[in-house]
Amino acid sequence: MIQIGPVRRRLLAFGLALGISLVPGCGKKTQSESGAAGSAPARLRIAVIPKGTTHEFWKSVHAGAAKAARELDVDIVWKGPLKEDDLKSQIELVQSFTAQKASGIVLAPLNDKALVSSVDAAVAAQIPVVIFDSALAGGKVSSFVATDNRAAGRLAGERLVKLLDGKGKVAVLRYQEGSASTRDREEGFLEVVKKAPEIEVVSDNQYGGATTETAASASESLLLAKNAAKGGLHGVFTPNESTTFGMLRALENTKLDGKLRFVGFDASDKLVEAVRKGSIDGLVLQNPFNMGYLAVKAITAKLKNQPVEARTDTGAELLDKQNIDEPAMKELVKPDLAKWLK
Amino acid sequence: MTPRAVLRSSWFAPLLALLACYALFSGLAPDTFPGATNLWTMARQTVVVAIAAVGMTYVILLGGIDLSVGSGVAITTVVVAASLRQGIGPAGAMALGVLLPALVGAATGGLVARLRITPFIVTLGTMSLLRGAAKGLADEQKIDADPHGLDTLMSAPLPGEFRLPPGVAIAVLVATLAAIALRYSVFGRHVTAIGSNEQTARLCGVPVSRVKIAVYALSGLLAGLAGIMEYATLTVGDPTDSIGLELEVIAAVVIGGGSLSGGQGSIVGALIGALLMTVIKTGCTHIGLPNWVQEILTGAIIVVAVALDRVRKR
Amino acid sequence: MSAARLYARGITKAFSGTRALDDVGLEVRPGTIHAVLGENGAGKSTLMQILAGALRPDSGELMLDGVAYAPRDPAAARRAGVAIVYQELSVCPDLTVAENVLLGVEPRRFGFVDRGRRDARARRALEKLGRESRLPLDAPVRELSSAERQLVEIARALSHEQPKLLILDEPTSSLGSDDTQQLFTALAALKETGLSIVYISHFLEEVRRIADDYSVLRDGKSVASGEMAQSTNDELLLAMAGRGLETGQRRERRAGEVLLSLENLAGEKLPKAASLELRRGEVVGLSGLVGSGRTELVRAVFGLDPVRRGAVRVRAHVGPRSPVERWAEGVGMLSEDRKGEGLALSFPISHNTTLTALSRLRRRGLVSLAQERRESERLIQRLRVRCRDADQPVSELSGGNQQKVALMRLLFHDADVLLLDEPTRGIDVRSRAEIHSLIDELSARGKAVLVVSSYLPELLSLCDRIAVMHRGRLGDFRPSAEWTEHTLLREAAGA
Repeated sequence: MIQIGPVRRRLLAFGLALGISLVPGCGKKTQSESGAAGSAPARLRIAVIPKGTTHEFWKSVHAGAAKAARELDVDIVWKGPLKEDDLKSQIELVQSFTAQKASGIVLAPLNDKALVSSVDAAVAAQIPVVIFDSALAGGKVSSFVATDNRAAGRLAGERLVKLLDGKGKVAVLRYQEGSASTRDREEGFLEVVKKAPEIEVVSDNQYGGATTETAASASESLLLAKNAAKGGLHGVFTPNESTTFGMLRALENTKLDGKLRFVGFDASDKLVEAVRKGSIDGLVLQNPFNMGYLAVKAITAKLKNQPVEARTDTGAELLDKQNIDEPAMKELVKPDLAKWLK
Repeated sequence: MTPRAVLRSSWFAPLLALLACYALFSGLAPDTFPGATNLWTMARQTVVVAIAAVGMTYVILLGGIDLSVGSGVAITTVVVAASLRQGIGPAGAMALGVLLPALVGAATGGLVARLRITPFIVTLGTMSLLRGAAKGLADEQKIDADPHGLDTLMSAPLPGEFRLPPGVAIAVLVATLAAIALRYSVFGRHVTAIGSNEQTARLCGVPVSRVKIAVYALSGLLAGLAGIMEYATLTVGDPTDSIGLELEVIAAVVIGGGSLSGGQGSIVGALIGALLMTVIKTGCTHIGLPNWVQEILTGAIIVVAVALDRVRKR
Repeated sequence: MSAARLYARGITKAFSGTRALDDVGLEVRPGTIHAVLGENGAGKSTLMQILAGALRPDSGELMLDGVAYAPRDPAAARRAGVAIVYQELSVCPDLTVAENVLLGVEPRRFGFVDRGRRDARARRALEKLGRESRLPLDAPVRELSSAERQLVEIARALSHEQPKLLILDEPTSSLGSDDTQQLFTALAALKETGLSIVYISHFLEEVRRIADDYSVLRDGKSVASGEMAQSTNDELLLAMAGRGLETGQRRERRAGEVLLSLENLAGEKLPKAASLELRRGEVVGLSGLVGSGRTELVRAVFGLDPVRRGAVRVRAHVGPRSPVERWAEGVGMLSEDRKGEGLALSFPISHNTTLTALSRLRRRGLVSLAQERRESERLIQRLRVRCRDADQPVSELSGGNQQKVALMRLLFHDADVLLLDEPTRGIDVRSRAEIHSLIDELSARGKAVLVVSSYLPELLSLCDRIAVMHRGRLGDFRPSAEWTEHTLLREAAGA
């Protein structure tokens, strides 16, 4: 049942792709219906630009945004960079949506500085912008909707300290430079563990990179370099889905899973399964669904001239073996995407 | 050019494809796609690929290939950003940015010409080499620096203001000069001669090695110039930028009638190819197609454009 | 008398009006080796291609073992039992002997190569070549000698069907004397199995050692045939060269100062030693067999091939040797490999013409395309090149017209010394005559011309002096009047 939704959607889109190349008239009709500005009051058309489109995380954001769109009766256009994490193509997307006069733009910037001028150009063209997930350094944005990443990082740090009984060697595998959200998590984590007197941070300068592969190989190197198999490392923290999964793969490959205390970030089926098995001791979960939902709500409020909070925290929870079957956590881990993404 | 020469030219079919795609998307998104704002946006978004494709056209005419273009662009953004942060002015930063890929290009040409290593291998190496150097130079992070006005090269004009983005003007100028040089200079003739039949060129006293070195250096230089435009767009130096850009650039040249076996290709064709890909990319955004559909469309158009060209030439 | 294995009568074949074969007959007895002799251009390869199904005759009759034989394509010929091994080896060096022998016809089981059956068949094919040719089935061909590769090639030709007739085109042209011996042993063994072999060669001595019968072709006609044992070398040479015995040129030429001189020039492998003087206003000929080092000599002079020792002087001046220098000194070269080196085929006629002297067309730094077109059109008219216009790609022209375009380059450059390697090979009779008169005219205008040719009448009628190259050594120059086709052939064969 759950699978049918996306598959049908895919077939539909494929048909559309064929359709527009064969029958130009057919696509045009639907477009002018939604874009018709003459008779009815103009329907709001909001561009939502994530950092990528293939990670689970962004699918949840998409579902939340779709839910808000349905409740508020607006249209959303979901479009991520063609290549995952490609800064240039994200900038071009913002420019494109500015050129086609979208009503508003909701953006998760891949870089805190590089998108500032494109965002300002959009705002100058009377298109308000709401930023979500990661902060933008400057820019005339209407609102920022995100997890308080520093707090989420602290949550992870506290849990790891507790798991290690306050002593041992820990490491953090960072994600990528220039990504503000993960940097805040890493700093929040380090802030807590450095306060614990008997905890030693043996590595905090390694990066997992953009993909699971790069994260896995960086993890393996880190584990080897710190001699984790012989007790050179007792606990690790990873700040997002790809680094967490990469670290999990590395631990499994070196048969260290379950032997090291491991707190990760974000959820996917495999990661949750690893928590159940005990390979991962805890996962800090953001609420991507809520993030998409609140971001679209914020831009709609702005467009309707209603008051908008400058900063909205979408919250973070810690998933572990104990609470894994609680309904609230289940909803967080696996929101019913199919319901919204039909 | 006579009408018949236009019909016979290798870029005629891609031009038709470009116009057809433009008409199609204009029909599907009549409110936004054909507008002037969007046209200028597309022009700006084509600048980087177009400038790099000018260099690639020379390389492909020569019968070679340059896979290092994407890395060359990336390292230039890094060098420019780092230079600006060091307090070197914009002019100096641009000069430094262009210098490195140009030198690497010249070295590539030397290896290809003197040691007869296939350019695919050499540039596969320099691709990785430049990428690594960019990451090392940037300390594996994006470099922020006050752009000192360089961002205006590629920035959008304010609403109501009319201003030709300097980046677009530079791309047009570079392409025009390159096209004239290709058709009317001894150097351009030597490039096509080598690509057409290297043995003949050697027999006829064409300085084959010197020409090859010059062409790869030119390709590097233009990758550097494209990198400056990329920096103007990004406003940060990004060592992970433009991964795979070289394939887009090669596709532009090939769509425009370039043949990977050398001797065939034109600057006009390459520009048309670059524009065609931007039109598809932007068009798909305007009518809200998901990325995977866009990728399928782009791939299909590359194959169809080249296949049509071959059929036409039979 | 037993029935003929192969019987051909009245075979005629024309290419665009030129008769390559005119009423040719051939009779090959079972279990014999039959040599087909003739000069270059006599029609030997056309005849072989017809036998192997690669060409179809315009008229004539072929019988194989008394049955009408008219193969539509090479595959049909193979099925009928006629196999051919061409001059250029076509083995894949990285595959093993067995893989090469059964390339393309591998026995299969469940879609995979059945290695057992393949090896057995390859072994059987090789066994027919006799005891001496036992090759390791699993050795990569790269590791074999030239003769062994030749044997692999023959085994491949024999493995396909039940072979009745094997055609070998100049099989020893790339072999040393030991290798040749090994090949001949194998051919003798094959003959014992009842196979008939048609053997094409230039080398009279070789042919005499293995052939039972011979046929001679000259200018597309059968001129002689018989049993080898009852003929002398002189008879055969005479038959190949013809009784016309054209000698010397007619017009008196006046030679001027020396423009090009070579002193004991030796390349990496070929030539071994070559000295000559080329004077203003004369045409000098180089004769010799293909592979004797004539082309290598010209390439070494022009700086395309390395020189081991000796000197090249242009107007008594020794400079750096490179094509750039040579063109600058007024020396031009016409390559024997028209398509591979002589011309850039995708280039228009005009670009091919002007490539060596673009600076002459430069106006304010740019090449004047209008002037380029004008000058090319002028040369097109002068050489009567049949084409659409100067912008037409050379690839669309016929061989003769392509060759004229290659000559246009030398005229546009206004070279003083012209090195012409096989200037009329493979082109029609009319173009050949036109090129001959052009060469005559150029010499009259004070150019120095060196002609390398395998076509003896051409050398004899065109040149003032001729020397013969034999195994890398250039013999003495003698006035054309002192040569005949017969004597040229004898010297070329080293007899």
